Amino acid sequence: MIETLLAGLDAALRIDTFVWISGGLLLGMLMGSLPGFTTSMGMSLLVPISFLVGDPLIGIPFLIGVYKGGIYGGSIPAILISMPGTGASIATVLDGYELTKKGQARKALEMGLYASVISDLCSDIFTLVMIIPVAAIVLGFGPPEIASIMFLSLVIIAVTSTGSVIKGLLMLCLGVWFGFVGADPFSGMPRYTFGTNELYDGFHLIPMLIGLFALPEIFNAVKEGDISGSSVGRFVGERLRFDELKKSLRTIGRSTVIGTGIGLIPGLGQPIAAMMGYIAAKNASKHPENFGKGELDGVAGAEAANNAVNGPTMVPLLTLGIPGDAVTALLLGAFMMQGLRPGPALLETNGEIVFAILIAMVIANFLFLVLGYISIPLFARVVTIKRSLLIPVTIMLAFSGTYLARSNPFDIVTLLGFGLVGIAARSAKFDVAPMVMGFILGRELEYTFGQTLALAGTDWVHFALTERIGMTVVVLATPIVGALLGVRMSRFRQRALKGGQA
Amino acid sequence: MSIGDFRSVIRSRFPCDRRSIRLPAILFLVGIVLFRLSVVHAQYPEKPITLVTPFAAGGSSDLNARVFTSFLSGYLGQTVLIKLVPGQAGQKGTLEAVRSAPDGYTLLFTDNYRDQLHKYTFRNDAYDTNRDLVPVARVNYGQIGIIVRTDGVYETWAQLEADARARPGEISMSHSGLWVALFVPMLQLMKDLDLSFRMVPYRGGGPAKAALLAGDADVSMAFPATVVADVEAGLIRVLATAGSERILEGVPSFAEIGLSPTTGYIHRVVMAPIGITEGRLRILREAFAQMQEEEAYRQMMTQLGENTEYLDGADYEALRIQQSNDYQELAQSLLDQ
Repeated sequence: MIETLLAGLDAALRIDTFVWISGGLLLGMLMGSLPGFTTSMGMSLLVPISFLVGDPLIGIPFLIGVYKGGIYGGSIPAILISMPGTGASIATVLDGYELTKKGQARKALEMGLYASVISDLCSDIFTLVMIIPVAAIVLGFGPPEIASIMFLSLVIIAVTSTGSVIKGLLMLCLGVWFGFVGADPFSGMPRYTFGTNELYDGFHLIPMLIGLFALPEIFNAVKEGDISGSSVGRFVGERLRFDELKKSLRTIGRSTVIGTGIGLIPGLGQPIAAMMGYIAAKNASKHPENFGKGELDGVAGAEAANNAVNGPTMVPLLTLGIPGDAVTALLLGAFMMQGLRPGPALLETNGEIVFAILIAMVIANFLFLVLGYISIPLFARVVTIKRSLLIPVTIMLAFSGTYLARSNPFDIVTLLGFGLVGIAARSAKFDVAPMVMGFILGRELEYTFGQTLALAGTDWVHFALTERIGMTVVVLATPIVGALLGVRMSRFRQRALKGGQA
Repeated sequence: MSIGDFRSVIRSRFPCDRRSIRLPAILFLVGIVLFRLSVVHAQYPEKPITLVTPFAAGGSSDLNARVFTSFLSGYLGQTVLIKLVPGQAGQKGTLEAVRSAPDGYTLLFTDNYRDQLHKYTFRNDAYDTNRDLVPVARVNYGQIGIIVRTDGVYETWAQLEADARARPGEISMSHSGLWVALFVPMLQLMKDLDLSFRMVPYRGGGPAKAALLAGDADVSMAFPATVVADVEAGLIRVLATAGSERILEGVPSFAEIGLSPTTGYIHRVVMAPIGITEGRLRILREAFAQMQEEEAYRQMMTQLGENTEYLDGADYEALRIQQSNDYQELAQSLLDQ
């Protein structure tokens, strides 16, 4: 094992590998920062380059660079123009854009970068060292376990939402209901589609995100009246200070653990990790009332958690040849086209290449730090653009991004619809984040719950109590966790209220 | 300034006599005429071709398309761009291709289930694949196999079949989603052999295989290429493979276990909207035929675990009719239940 690792290290330390990773990171960042252009679309576009290069130690690290860059790139429009380009940046937008409004865009971007790099580095090293022991655990998470974790996540999101719990619950339920629109995943029967073909696949996440988060901001800016001359800030803003980063290190550490754990379980993914990281940061904070109003810790918690997912998703791919999502499916294809067949034997036959690729993932983080550091002042310049120019461009990005996601003109209608929902929710002081999470989780929960029922057959009591203890424990613990968190959050709310009166 | 003055100015600036200017002028005119002619008789294709793929990014069909378009571009002299239009189990992308101009610049990458089965299962009357699409080429095909875990109880198909008869509806079978590559042959298997399995859906072939490995499902199906590594590692056993010939030593074919020899095939096909001119269709078909000679293409497909059993579009047409009849029967029998 150690020898293979050293051989891998030897193979990975190549200047051309570094150059290609950097290229991948830059491309990924650019693609990720285009709303609607998802990481999997970008990677699928670049797969031919990776296999035509013909060297697995160039082609695959290149794609991994695109992946990492893409996940971070999504946070750039989320922070700067309140437009989460991918599901992974849902939680980043909550505090990131507030910081931009306060003139601290550069700080937010840098916090996002450092949090991403630190957590990604830790989770990659974890993957590198633990890949063999952890591989055995991964298969233990089937639909019943995933369903129970989704259920727990829904409850946690409901009780910790900003503002009134009732309003949070309502939005969550609304989101879950939106998730039901479209074909039933088990029979293919259309639901709530009003006989239209357009709604057969249900709503798409991208128009929902852009509609709920970006359109209300545009509306607000236009409502304010004269915007001709002003810009959000005159300078790109201050850098992140070291003591600010140091204060957030605990949050980054916590989110890294959460993200790594979620990444190990196939099928949960970045949006859930980011939200859980954000909520954990809020819950542990001494000032939870500042979250949602421009708290650096919020950005750190979300960004660290979504990037920590990247490393562990490679475990089932490399050890079992099982891709958990579209990104790893593309990587599987890239491996196979290089003549490497991910699976149980790959570590034995081509162990050094596997480790070289994992080491390249670790190295990619350092390159990422440098590239991000150089490019952030450029991106942060967005805030110095006159709003009379920035707002039309933002509108254009909102519409083109929506169309880009799946070339469906109907999504423009959906975008406008969710824009109205967002504007209404904002004026009535409803938090839209639980709605988005309800949408994402509700669908998945329905699917995994259906799978669980199919697996359990008729004797579900036996199934729950003997075969799936883990699921049963999580389901039973959920109300307790929910109640404890709920009490804690309401205490914070009361304190904040008193503080406000004093 | 009069025109005469202007001429004299020009002549004084660019002194030349008429004879010396004649040859370049003639050449210039001939050039223009040739250019115009070449535009009129330009060889198709003269701009990039769009290949609509009704699949999500990252699936096996997407990867297949990425490989063959990279090579096909060289034979057509134009880039072949992939446009992903996923949705409605492939109906959205198909509709987009059907509705595009039949000028040979929009093609569709599809498979036999989306081409011939879905019209019966989804009852979409926006298009009719047989009326609206003409095959350009079958890129390759995949043959499915029935798989179990090696540490499970089944060593042969006969054992599994006997157990399934004894416990109808109790043996769980993981598949990759409704009406696609694993689901359809499973339905055909249950219908033709009068068996009943408990079908558990997963999002794609990878998770369906994971469910088998984890012990959540008792049986699954897979294209042999996706389980080669697991078979070599001694984790998965193949009990039967599609077709009338055996492709693995000691493993019966579908024909031997009582299934139709056409069951369990996925054909990956490139289609063009009907109305495309004979000439353009021929250029496309020839490009596909020439690409088969390319060693790098064959090697890349082999590494991806796919074959390169190319079939000309005209020859594939006959298979389509056969499929259509089989699937109509299958869909009818399900609707009768």
